[in-house]
Amino acid sequence: MVARLVGSSVARVEDPRILTGRGHYLDDVRLPGMLHAAFVRSPFPHAAVLGIDVTEALQVPGVRAVITIDDLDRVAGPLVPAGPPDLLVAPFPALARDRVRLVGDPVAVVLADSRAEAEDGVEAVEVDYDPLPGVGDMDDVLAGGTELVFPELGDNVLHRSTHRYGDTDAAFATAHRVVSARLDQHRHANVPMECRGIVAAFDPAAGTLEVQAAHQSPHALRMHLADVLGIPAHAVRVRCGDIGGSFGQKFGLSHEEVAIAGASVLVGRPVKWIEDRSENLMVGGQAREERVDVEAAVDPEGRILGLRVRMVMDQGAYPKVGYPATGYLSIVRALLPAAYRIDDIDFESVIVASNKATYVPYRGPWEIETWARERLLDLVARELGIDPVDVRERNLLTSADFPRASATGVELLGFDPRRTFDDTVDLLDLDAFRARQAAARAEGRLVGIGLANVVEPAPVTPSLIRAMGIMAAPRTVQEARARLELDGSVTVFTSQMPHGQSHETTLAQLTADQLGVGIDRVRVVHGDTRDTPFNLVGTGGSRAATLASGAVVGVARRVRDRVLEVASQLMEIDPADLDLVDGSVVARGAPGVSTPLAEIGRLAWVRPGLANADGRPGIEETATFDSAEGTWSVATHACEVEIDPETGLVRVDRYVVVGDCGAVINPAVVDGQVRGGVVQGIGAVLLERSAYDREAQFLSSTFMDHLLPTALDVPRIEVHHVHHEPTDEINFRGVGEGGAIGAPAALTSAIEDALAHLGVRVTEQFLPPVRILELIDAATGA
Amino acid sequence: MSATEPRTELDVAVEVNGEPRRARVEARRSLAELLRDDLELTGTHLGCEHGVCGSCTVLLDGVPVRSCLMLAVQAEGRSVVTVEGLADGDRLHPVQQGCLERHSFQCGFCTPGILLTAAALLDAQPEPDEAAVREAISGNICRCTGYESIVDGILRAAEIAREAADGHAGEGA
Repeated sequence: MVARLVGSSVARVEDPRILTGRGHYLDDVRLPGMLHAAFVRSPFPHAAVLGIDVTEALQVPGVRAVITIDDLDRVAGPLVPAGPPDLLVAPFPALARDRVRLVGDPVAVVLADSRAEAEDGVEAVEVDYDPLPGVGDMDDVLAGGTELVFPELGDNVLHRSTHRYGDTDAAFATAHRVVSARLDQHRHANVPMECRGIVAAFDPAAGTLEVQAAHQSPHALRMHLADVLGIPAHAVRVRCGDIGGSFGQKFGLSHEEVAIAGASVLVGRPVKWIEDRSENLMVGGQAREERVDVEAAVDPEGRILGLRVRMVMDQGAYPKVGYPATGYLSIVRALLPAAYRIDDIDFESVIVASNKATYVPYRGPWEIETWARERLLDLVARELGIDPVDVRERNLLTSADFPRASATGVELLGFDPRRTFDDTVDLLDLDAFRARQAAARAEGRLVGIGLANVVEPAPVTPSLIRAMGIMAAPRTVQEARARLELDGSVTVFTSQMPHGQSHETTLAQLTADQLGVGIDRVRVVHGDTRDTPFNLVGTGGSRAATLASGAVVGVARRVRDRVLEVASQLMEIDPADLDLVDGSVVARGAPGVSTPLAEIGRLAWVRPGLANADGRPGIEETATFDSAEGTWSVATHACEVEIDPETGLVRVDRYVVVGDCGAVINPAVVDGQVRGGVVQGIGAVLLERSAYDREAQFLSSTFMDHLLPTALDVPRIEVHHVHHEPTDEINFRGVGEGGAIGAPAALTSAIEDALAHLGVRVTEQFLPPVRILELIDAATGA
Repeated sequence: MSATEPRTELDVAVEVNGEPRRARVEARRSLAELLRDDLELTGTHLGCEHGVCGSCTVLLDGVPVRSCLMLAVQAEGRSVVTVEGLADGDRLHPVQQGCLERHSFQCGFCTPGILLTAAALLDAQPEPDEAAVREAISGNICRCTGYESIVDGILRAAEIAREAADGHAGEGA
C-alpha cells in the first residue's frame, strides 16, 4: 500500500463548515419548548445556607420554574466521586443543600423563556448565607485548624503517601552538595473559547433523556447521567457536535450537568444552559496549583545522585468525578526522571482541600514533573557554576542505555534520549548566543536562553500504568467500526470526540489510503453514543494518534479484505490477485479487469448471501487497538527572551521545538497542536492566573483580570521533527499535550538565564512584569 | 429597574449580509443576540460577552464591531456582515480561502470574529505585512493555534486577493 494522503498536510475536512459559519456548536441547538437556565451562585467562598426564597423570582416575567436541591432530590442522587482507599472523598449534591464551598457554587437553577429572563430571575432569588472562614492557602491547611470543607471527612488534608525508589539515604550520604528549592506553580485554567454547556431534553411520555453537550467523552457523560438520575441506560443518549475547545475541562460529570438534566426531568421540557465567561473562569475548572519541595544530592559535575521530593496539590473544594486527585500525583511521580539518569528518589504526596474551583485535567496534567525537574537542573547549574546546557547533557541518558526501566518502573524505549536535545543545541548556536548575551549585559540589557526536555506518554504505556499504581485504570483499548456504504463510500465510527484536533481529517486520511479511495469518499462519525464505540475517555491523553489510528487502520484493512473477498466472488479471481486502486478492485497485472467499489458496495448490501454466509447484508467491520510500550512523544524546547529592566516585560524572541512523535499523519495538524500548546504554556508563565485571596475569594472572573496571550504576545514557533526507527507499524504518537508541558519549563529557564548574573533564581512559575521587577529588586537590593 | 418590571420592546430594521431584516426585540437585546436568536445566524459566536475575546466580531458598515457590546437597536438602518455573508455563493472570500489553505484554525470558535476582522484589514490595507496582521487581530483571542497559522492564512488571503485583482486586470486589458 503506497501512502498517498498520510504524511501530507491534506486540507481539513472540518474547514468548509467552520470557515463559513456552518459549524454546529452547542449554543446553536434549539428545540421546541426549550427553556433557558441560569444559576444562582454563591458569592462567598464558604458559608452555611440557611434558607432560599424563590417567591419573588417566580414573579419575574418569563420565569417558569426555580429549582433547588429540595426539587432536585426527587429526581437525582448526589455526584459520587471515586478514589483509592487513601484518598478522602465524599458524595455531594448538584445544588447546595446546607453549605456552599466556593465562590460560584450553584445554589439554584432558574428556568425561563429566554436566558435574559432566567438571569432576571437569578437576581430575584434570595439566599440567606452565614459566612464561614474560607480556606485559600495550602500552608494554612497544612498548619491545621482550617474550617473543614467537608466536615464529614474530618480533615482538609485528603491524602498523604510516600514512595521510595532506590536508596536515597546512600545517595545523599555521598553527595558533593545538596541543592534544595521550593517550587511554586500557580492555578491555571483551561479557558476554551467556547464555555461549557448542556441541552437536556427529557421526554416524560417516552421516558427518554436526549442530551446534547460539549464534552470530551459522550459515553462517560451518558454513563454518569444514567447513574445519577436513575434513568435506564437504554433511554439516555448523548450527542456532541462541534466543540469550541476544551483542553481537559469538558470531562467527567459536573454539578451543572446533573442540575440541568434533573431540571429537564422535573419540568418535562428541554432545558438549555450555556455557561458564561465569568462562570467558566470561576467554576469551569482550574488546574496545576501545586508546590514541590525538592532536595537534590549532586556530584561536583552536576550529576544528580538522588532526589527527595514533597509535592502538595490543592484540589479545590469538590473532587472531579472520574478523576481522583491521586492520579495526577502518581503520574507526576512516575514520569519525574524522564530521560535523565536519576536512580534514587523519595516522593511524598499530599493533597489538600480548599474553597476553590475543582482541579481538572489541563493539557498535560502532569506538567509539573517537567517544570520542577528542569527548574532543579538550572538551580544545580547555578549553584555549581556550570552551564545549564552542560548539566542537562551530563544527566541525560544516551541511546546506549536503552531500552531501560526508569527508577519509577517506566519502560523507556522507542526514542533516542539525546537526539532532540543535541539537535536543539546545534540549532541554538550556543557559543554565539553567549557572546551576544555578554554584549547585551554590557549594555544593561537582559537576554537569556532556556531549555527543557519533555518525555510525553502519548498514549500512556502499560508500564506507566503499572508505575502509577492503584486507580490507574488502563482504559487504553480503542475500537473503531467501518461500513462500506451502498455506493462504495465509507463511514468510519470512532470513539474519539474531537474538539479542534482535526480527527475528521486525519482518520479519513488513514482510511482512504488503506482502501485506495479519495478522502471525499470517507466520512468520520463521532459524538453520538447511539452510533459510536464505547470508550470512557473519548478524546484526551494524546491518545488518538496511536490508538484511534491503530483501530481505524485495523478496521479499514478488514473492510478491504472483505471487499476483496466479495470482488473475488464477482470477478472469479483469487483475492490474493486483486488490489484496491482509485476506487476500484483491479486484477494485479491486468489493470483493464476491474470492478468499481461502488458496485461492490451496492451488491454487498442488496444481493442476499453475497457479503456474509449467514445472510447479513453489507460489509461492516470492527477492530480494536491497544497501547504498547515505547509510545513516547519526546521533544526539546528552547527559547530566547529579552527582559525590559524598566518594566519587567518579557519578550519571547525565539522559540524552538525539536520533537519526535514518530510518523506524522498530517504535518499542519501536528504543528498546529505543538504551537498551540506552547502558546498556552507561554501564557501560563507571563499572563494567566486563576487568582484567589487567602480566604479563597475569587479575583479573576473576567478577561480583564485573567489575561490570555494575543497575536502580539507570542513569536513564531519553530517546529522541527526528527524520526527514529519505527517500533511498530502504527508509528504515530500524540502531540496534544507536549507543547503545553515544555513551554513553562523552557520559558522560566530562559527568564532565569537572563537574570542569573543579577543573582535572581526563579522558583515560581507565574512571572508577570511586576513579579519580574520584584525579583530583580530583591536580588540587587534596589 | 427591578427584575419584575415590564420591559420595553422595539422594532429594528437592519440590512444583514445584503438582505433587509426586521425583528421586534427587547431594548436590552444585544446585536449578537439579534443575529443568533432572532435572525438564526448562528455563525457569530459569543466567547466572553464582555468585549475582550472578539469571537462575536461582525462588520457594521464595513467596520469591525463587537456584537456582544452593541445593542440590536443601535444597528437600526445600518448594514451588517456576518461570517455567513463573507463567501460569494460557493466562492470563498479570500480570507476564508487563505485560512483553508494554511490550516489556520482548530476548534473554529474564534473563527468568525477573526475572519471578519481580517476581511476589514484587507479592505483597508491590501498588502499588510506580518506585524500589521498581528496588530489587526490582537483583539481576537484564539486558544488553540498560537496564531501563527492564522497570520499565515491572512497573509495568504492578501496574495489570493491580489491574484484575483491581477486576473481581472488581465481580462480587462
